[in-house]
Amino acid sequence: MQKNMTRLSVAVLGALSVAVLSLEARAADAAGDAVAGSKKNSMCIGCHGIEGYKTAFPDVYDVPKIGGQHAEYIVSALQAYKTGNRKHPSMRGIAAQLSDQDMKDLAAYYSAQKK
Amino acid sequence: MRIIQIAVFASLLAATTVHAADMAAAEKKAKEVCGACHQPDGNSTNPQYPILAGQHPDFLRKALQDYQTGARNNAIMAGMAKPLTKAEIEGLAAWFAAQPSGLLQHR
Repeated sequence: MQKNMTRLSVAVLGALSVAVLSLEARAADAAGDAVAGSKKNSMCIGCHGIEGYKTAFPDVYDVPKIGGQHAEYIVSALQAYKTGNRKHPSMRGIAAQLSDQDMKDLAAYYSAQKK
Repeated sequence: MRIIQIAVFASLLAATTVHAADMAAAEKKAKEVCGACHQPDGNSTNPQYPILAGQHPDFLRKALQDYQTGARNNAIMAGMAKPLTKAEIEGLAAWFAAQPSGLLQHR
């Protein structure tokens, strides 16, 4: 009886640990990691990181400021570029190379930027 | 000849500046219509709706034009952009761009 109780306790504890750990992993996944994002933004700085930079193709206009923009909005924009729902040849090419996690991490990085 | 030069210069200047009347109209529209989603000053607090305050005016103009033509595909914004005149788009773009903002262009 004692042995079974011990085994049961260990099993329950084990199951709980797995559940908690996987919850933590999911939380990090959902949030996006700004530090990771800072290491992935080499494709972004060329246009979005230069003050006053204008696109040349397809039209000439100011590349939008993304620093301080909502993270969720940045992710949805990147997703829209990736699917082609939002049309822009360069952004589509760039977004196509980003995983969902990359997008979250980049969004976390840019949304956290402060003046 | 001089008067022609001045006239041409003045008309070019007028074409590129947004008149005070347009800015006032834009402010009204921004607060009454756009503000519902983007907050009256464009500093949206809902992460689904982008912050417009302090964004580049020509980017904002392009966005509104693209929503109007359907080049950019969004049911809500299509409806919002549809009735806007060119002057209203210019005004809104200029007005939101001028609002205090935390947006930056920074590596």
